[in-house]
Amino acid sequence: MKTIKYLSRKTTLCILLIFLLSGCELIDLEENPRGVVTADNFFNTPEQVESVLASWGRYTFKPWGRTYGYGPDFERHTDQRGGNLLIQLDYCATFFTKHYNSIKDLNFAIYALQAGQVPVTEDQYNLLMGQLKFLRAWNYFQLVRGWGDIPLLTEEHVPDYFNYQLTRTPVAEVYAQIILDFQEAIKTLPIKWSTDKKGRPTQDAAKALLAKTYLTMATAPLNETSYYAKAADMAKEVMDAGNYSLVQDIDKVFSFETEYGPEMMWSFHANDEYPSTDPRVWTPLDGWSDNAPSIPWANAYPEQPRKGAYLQLYDKNGVHYNTRKRAPGIKKYLYDTKENFEKYFTRINIPIIRYADVLLIFAEAENMSKGGPTQAAVDALNLVIDRSNGHVENFNHPRANIDMWQDEFDLKVLRERNLELCFEHDRWFDMLRKRSILTDVRESVRPNFDERIYLWPIPEAEIRANKNMTQNPGY
Amino acid sequence: MKIKLNFLLCVFLLLPLVLFAQQQIRGKVTESGTGEPVIGASIIEVGASNGTTTDVNGNFSLAVRKNAVIRISFIGFLSQEINTGGRTSFDIVLREDAQSLDEVVVVGYGTQKRTEITGAISSIKGDDLTKLATQRIDQALQGRAAGVLVLNADGAPGGNTVIQIRGVNSILGGSDALIVVDGFQGGDLTSLNPNDIESMEVLKDASATAIYGAKGANGVILIQTKRGRSTKPRISYSADFGVSNVLMGGVKLMNAADYARETNFYNSRNNYDYDPIPIFTDEEITEFERTGGTNWMDVVYRQALTQTHQLSVERKIDNLTFYVSGQYYNQEGVLLASGYDRYSLRANFNSDITNWLKFGLTWYGALETRYGAAFDPNIDPNGNPIYASLNYAPTLPIYDEEGNYSKANPLYGHPTAWNPLASAIEPDSKRQNVINNANLFLDFNILKGLTLRVQGSARLNNALDASYYNTKTYGGYTDNGIGTSTSSFAKNLQNSNILTYKLDIGKHNFQVLGVGEIQYSETFSTKISNKDFIIQETGYYSLGGSNIQKTSSSHNERKLVSFLGKLNYSFDNRYLTSFSLRADGSSVFGRNHKWGYFPAGSLGWRVSEEKFLKGNKLISNLMFRSSFGVTGNQAIGSYQTLSRIAQDSAYPWDGGDGAIVAYTVNSASNPNLKWESTIQRNLGFDIALLKNQLEFTAEVFRKNTTDMLLSRELPLSSGLTSITDNVGSMETTGWEVSFKTNGIRLGNLRWSSSLNLSSSSTIVLDLGTYKFLAYSAGSSGGGVGVPFKYLTVGEPFGQFMGFKYIGLWQEGEEEEAGRYGQRPGNARYEDVNADGKIDFDNDWQVIGNSTPDLILGWSNDFSYKRWNLSFLFQGTIGNDIFNVSRIQRESASTGVSVDRLKRWTYENQNTDIPAVWDSKSGVAYRDAWNATHPDQPYVSTYIFPTSGGNLTSRWLEDGSYIRLKNIQLSYNFPSIQGISNLRLSVSCTNVFTLTKYKGFDPEVSSYTTSAAHYGTDTSSYPQARTVNFALNITL
Repeated sequence: MKTIKYLSRKTTLCILLIFLLSGCELIDLEENPRGVVTADNFFNTPEQVESVLASWGRYTFKPWGRTYGYGPDFERHTDQRGGNLLIQLDYCATFFTKHYNSIKDLNFAIYALQAGQVPVTEDQYNLLMGQLKFLRAWNYFQLVRGWGDIPLLTEEHVPDYFNYQLTRTPVAEVYAQIILDFQEAIKTLPIKWSTDKKGRPTQDAAKALLAKTYLTMATAPLNETSYYAKAADMAKEVMDAGNYSLVQDIDKVFSFETEYGPEMMWSFHANDEYPSTDPRVWTPLDGWSDNAPSIPWANAYPEQPRKGAYLQLYDKNGVHYNTRKRAPGIKKYLYDTKENFEKYFTRINIPIIRYADVLLIFAEAENMSKGGPTQAAVDALNLVIDRSNGHVENFNHPRANIDMWQDEFDLKVLRERNLELCFEHDRWFDMLRKRSILTDVRESVRPNFDERIYLWPIPEAEIRANKNMTQNPGY
Repeated sequence: MKIKLNFLLCVFLLLPLVLFAQQQIRGKVTESGTGEPVIGASIIEVGASNGTTTDVNGNFSLAVRKNAVIRISFIGFLSQEINTGGRTSFDIVLREDAQSLDEVVVVGYGTQKRTEITGAISSIKGDDLTKLATQRIDQALQGRAAGVLVLNADGAPGGNTVIQIRGVNSILGGSDALIVVDGFQGGDLTSLNPNDIESMEVLKDASATAIYGAKGANGVILIQTKRGRSTKPRISYSADFGVSNVLMGGVKLMNAADYARETNFYNSRNNYDYDPIPIFTDEEITEFERTGGTNWMDVVYRQALTQTHQLSVERKIDNLTFYVSGQYYNQEGVLLASGYDRYSLRANFNSDITNWLKFGLTWYGALETRYGAAFDPNIDPNGNPIYASLNYAPTLPIYDEEGNYSKANPLYGHPTAWNPLASAIEPDSKRQNVINNANLFLDFNILKGLTLRVQGSARLNNALDASYYNTKTYGGYTDNGIGTSTSSFAKNLQNSNILTYKLDIGKHNFQVLGVGEIQYSETFSTKISNKDFIIQETGYYSLGGSNIQKTSSSHNERKLVSFLGKLNYSFDNRYLTSFSLRADGSSVFGRNHKWGYFPAGSLGWRVSEEKFLKGNKLISNLMFRSSFGVTGNQAIGSYQTLSRIAQDSAYPWDGGDGAIVAYTVNSASNPNLKWESTIQRNLGFDIALLKNQLEFTAEVFRKNTTDMLLSRELPLSSGLTSITDNVGSMETTGWEVSFKTNGIRLGNLRWSSSLNLSSSSTIVLDLGTYKFLAYSAGSSGGGVGVPFKYLTVGEPFGQFMGFKYIGLWQEGEEEEAGRYGQRPGNARYEDVNADGKIDFDNDWQVIGNSTPDLILGWSNDFSYKRWNLSFLFQGTIGNDIFNVSRIQRESASTGVSVDRLKRWTYENQNTDIPAVWDSKSGVAYRDAWNATHPDQPYVSTYIFPTSGGNLTSRWLEDGSYIRLKNIQLSYNFPSIQGISNLRLSVSCTNVFTLTKYKGFDPEVSSYTTSAAHYGTDTSSYPQARTVNFALNITL
C-alpha cells in the first residue's frame, strides 16, 4: 500500500512537472496569423501596390456602375421616371463610404511608395504613382461635388490613419489637392498603354478630367470664372494631341470594338468573369422599370439617329415604346449579345470620361471665357451635333453657329450634354454646377425643391464618429 | 484414519459455510403502487462481491452470509438496504425515486449532491429527452428548463437552433450557451445522439458558470453520457418511423384567377400616360378559374419520412463498465430534396485499474449529411425555394410549352423570383461533416480524499460541402453553372488537470478544487468556387471542367490557457458556501489584455436541516441560496486585434479579359481589446413538500455586462466603418420559477408534472459613442434594406423602430388626410409632434420589442398500469415579430397573399390593406385639392428614409404563442421470456399552435448569428407536424 502511494505521488509529480514544463511554451499567447496579411508585411512589391488599383474598382464600380441602376435617383426628376426630389439623411451614404474606402487604400500605397518600401525602378515608380494619384483625384472630385467641404486625408495621415477626426477642408482646398494629383498623373502617365493594359488611364484621360475639374470650379459653388480659360486650354490640349477622336458612326459609340478608344478615354471595366449589372435594369421594354427614362423626356428627345442609338425605342418584338405604353430602354448599355441578355448577364463597360465630353467641355469653357462663342467652340459643339444627326442636316436638331448669344450657346451646350451624355452620371452634376435644378426638374416635383439639395447630407455615421464634423445646411 | 481424513475433508469443505454461515435467500421485487414486478433490479450483498438481478417475474435468489445486509437498487427507484437478519424470504417494494435528494449532480469539474448546490442549476434526465420523438438534444431541451429559451431558427432537417440562457448577454460575442460534454468544452448539440445522454445540467447563475470563466457568460450546458450500469448485459434496440407534413401557419396564398384579376387591376391603375393594356384576357382568367393555376406550396413541399434505428449494449463486469451504441437517423425534409442523415457510434469505457487508478474513455464519432438547396437568409432570396414558392405567380405554369421550367414574367408578378420547383430540386448540394470526439481521463487517488484527474480531449471535424447549381437554377443560369467545394478541417484540443481534495472534520465539510487547463483550436479551410462549366452533367465531381476558377483558403487558430481554484465549505449540511477564481489567458485579445480574472462566490442556508424543521412531515427541503460572480465572453474571432489587409476579389483594371487581385486595408489594430465581462447576482430558494412529492424553485437574478464587445464606429472618412472594441454595457434582470409534482397517485394513475415560467429583460446602458446601434435585415426577403432593430441607450434590448401605423384614412377624413397629401384608403401613421409631416426626425418611434415577457413550458406525464401518456406545452408571450416576408407577400403590385383581396374601397373600409388609386384620379384629386387649398399644396408629407417606406408597425405582429409541442402515448408490454422490456409508442410533434401570427411560424429568428436580429421573419424553412411510431426492446 505504501509503495502504491509512493508510486502515485511520483506519477503525479511527473505529470505536474510535464505540465508545468510544457506550460512555459504553451502559455505564449501572441498571435501568429498565417493566412492573414497585415500592414507590416504588405506593399513590398509593385504587384501589391497595383492590388490597390483593383480595390478602387471593387469599391466604386458597384455604386457607380452596378447598383447605380437601381439606387439613388440622380436623374429621376428630369430624364428618368420617378423620384420626388426629397433628399433624406444618409442619401448617397454608400457613395461617400466607398470613395473613402478607396482613398484609404490609395493613401497607404502612396505612403509605402514614397517611403521607399517598394523596390521599383524610377519608371515603375512614376507609373504607379501616376495611377494612384489619378484615382485619388477622381475620388475626391466625386466627393467634393456631392458633399462640398469634406475631410481631406492624404498619405501624410497614414501612420495613424484611423485615429484622426478631421475637420472639413474647404472646397477650394480640396480642389487644390485634386489639381495637384491630376497634374502629377499628367506628368507620369503614358500617352498610350500597351494593348494588354489598354484600359488603364492615360495622360489624356487625366487631362480630360482635369479640364472637367476646372470647368466645375468655374461654376457653382466656387464660381471662379478664371478657370473657364484653364478648362478650355486643358481640353484643347487633349483635342490638339489627337490621341482620341469621335467614333463617327453613332451606332458604334457604345460597342465592344470602341470600349477602349478612340472615343472612350476611361471607364469602369467588366468582362465575363467580372460582369456588370443585370442588363434587365436598362430596359423597361424587355426587363424592369427601375431605371426607366421618363417618357416625356424621351418624347422630347430630338428625332435623329442618336435617339435610336442611345435609347431603345423598340422592344424585342419590334414594337415602339409608345405603342407598348412602357418607357424606352437605355440602349447605350445594351450592346452585349442577345444570348447574354437572356442570361441576365452583361460585360459592358460604364463610361467615366470620353472624347465627346472633352469637346463639350471645351465648347462651354471657350464660350464662357471668351465672352461668346468662338469658331473653335462652335466647331467643337458641331462635331458632336453632326455625328448625332448622322452627318446630315437635321431641322430637329440644328447645328450651332458663331452668331449665337453667349447665353444661348451655353444653353445649347448644356442641352447637348444632356442628350449626348444621358445616363452617364453627368446630368445631376451639371445641374449642380449650373444651379439649375429648380428649372430643370419635372414640374410635379418642384414643390419639394429646397436649396439644401445642392449638397448631399453628410452621412450620419461620419457625424457620429467624428466630433469635428458638421452637417450640411438644411439637414 | 480414513474416517478422520473424511471428516477433515468434510470440515474443510464445510468450513466456508460454517465460517461465513452462508444461507440462500429468495424474494420478489415489486413496484410500489402498481404492484408490478421490477425486472432487472440488482440485489447485492453489502461488503461482499456477490449479487444477482431479478428475473422477468421480479424474483431473485441469492446466497448470502447470515445477517448480511442486501442492497436492492434499480434505476429510477430509491435503493433500499435490508438486514436479512436470518430471514430467507423477502417481499420488497421499491418506491420510485422522486428526485432523490441524495442525487448527485454534475457540476463544472466535478459532482455535487443536489442538496449542497448553492447555484442555479436545472437538471434534465436523459430519459426525459428520449421520450420525445426528436433526435435532436437542442430541440428536446425546449420547454424543459426554466430560463432556457430554445428557438428553432428554421424547420429544416439539421437546421439551426438558438439556445439562450437567461436572456441576451452580448451583442457581438453571441449569446449561445457553452456546451460541455463529459468535461470537454465546446461542440454542438445537433450532432449528438440523445439516446446516449445520461443527464443534462443547465448552469445558469455565475456561481455555477464562473468556473468556466471567459466562456461562461452565456450559461453552460453540462452533458454526461451513459456508462454501463447493469451487471446483467442490457441490449436495447429501438426503431422510430415518422411522417411529416408542412405547417403553413398563417400563410394564405391567392389562386391563379384571383391573382390574374388583381394583376390586371393593379396594372390598370397606372393610367397616367395611357390606359394600359390588360395583362390577362378574360379567357385566360376563365381558364385559371377552371385549372386553378399552380399551387406552388403543393409543388415544392411533400410528405416526408423519418426513420431512426438505435442499438446499444451496456454491461458492468467486475472493474470494467462499458456502454456502446450505434444509431442511424434519416430525416427527409418537407421541402423537396432537403434532408439530413446521421450515422453515429459511441463507446464509453470505465475501469478501475487499481485501487488508486481509474480510467475512462469516451469516444463518439458521427457522419452527418445535410442535403438540399440553400435557403438561409444570406443567400440571394430569388434562388431560395422557400422564398420563391411564397412569391412566384400562381398564374405561371411549372413548365413552359417547350418543357422547360417557367420563368418569371417581367411584366407582372415578382420580377426576379426563380421557378420554385427548379430552385428546390435542381441544386445538387451535399454538406457532409465527420465528427470525431475522443475523451480520455485518468483518476489518481493520491491520498484519502485527494484525487487528480488528468483529462485529454480531442474533437476533430472534417467538413466537406459540395454543391452544383446547374443552368436550370437561379445563379447557375446566368453563370452557366456554379460549382463549389469547401473542405475544412477543425481541430479542438483540451487538456485539463483537476485536483480535488475532500475533507470532513466533524460537521465541517471541505472540498477544494484546483485546475490547470489548456484549450487550443485550429481551423483550416479551402474553397473552390468555379463558374461557366463546359460540362453540366459532372457538376462538382469535375470542378476542373469550368472556365472561371477561383480558389481561396483560410486559417485561424486560438488558444486559451486557464488556472482555476474553488473551495466549497459546508457546516452540518446547513450552511453552505463556495468561492472560486479562474484566470483565463486568450490569444485572441489585445497585447495589453491577454489575461482576465473571474471570481465567484455563493452562500446557501438549508433551513430544513435546522432543528426546528428537521423531520418535518410537510417540508422535506427548504433552502435559500445567494450567489455572485463574474463571467466572460471571448467569442470574437482570431486576429481581431491586428490591422489586417485582406484580399477582396479582383477587378479588370487593365480592361478586357482577366483581372488583377484586389487587396484592401480592412481593419485597424486594437491592442487594448479584451474580454466582455458579466457580473451576475442570483437569489434563489427551493422548497420540497410531502416527501419531495411537490417541489418549487424560484430565482431572481441581475446581470451586468460591461466592456461589451461592439463595433466602435470610425469616421467613414477613415475608409473603415468600425473597429471591434470594448464599449458599452447592458443590464439584464429576470426571474424564473419552476413547479414540479413527482408521481402523485390517484389509484393506479400516477401524475408527474413540471411547469416552468421565466422572464427576463435587458436594458442597454451604454454604447460608447453611439446613442443607438441599428440593424437591418439586408435586402433579402424583398423587404427592408434599412435598419429597423435598434439598441438604444436607456432602452430595452430588442426594440423595433419605425413609423407607427394606425390604420387607413377613412371616408370623412379627407380634410385631415389631405394635409399629409393622402387620401382615404391610404395608410395612416402617427404624427408624434403633429407637424403635418411624417418624418424620421420626429415621428420615428419604438413600435415593438422582440423579447418575450414570459417563456413557459409545461410537461405532464400520466401512467396508468402499463400505459403512459405524456405531453408538453411550450410557448412565449409578449414578443413581437417583424414579418419581413409579408411586405413582399402583400405588395400591392406583385404580392400573392390572399389578403390583397381585402383592399380598401369605399364599400370595404374595415381593412388594413391600403387602397390602390389610379394615377389619373390621383392627379384629379391633387388638382382639386390645390384649387381649394392654395396655401397648402397637395404633396405627400410622408418623408421616409431612402427605401424605408416599409418600416412601419403594419408589418409588426404579436409573436405570442402556446404550442402543444409534443404528445406521446406508449404501452409497456408484460415481459416475455428473454425480453425484459418491450414498449410501443405513438407520438405527434407540433400538434397545434395557438397564435395570431401571420407567417409560417411564430418561433422564428431568420438570423441566428446575432441576437440583435431576433424576431425577424424573412420566411425561413417552415416547421412540420410529425407523427412518429416507435418500438423499444430491451433484452
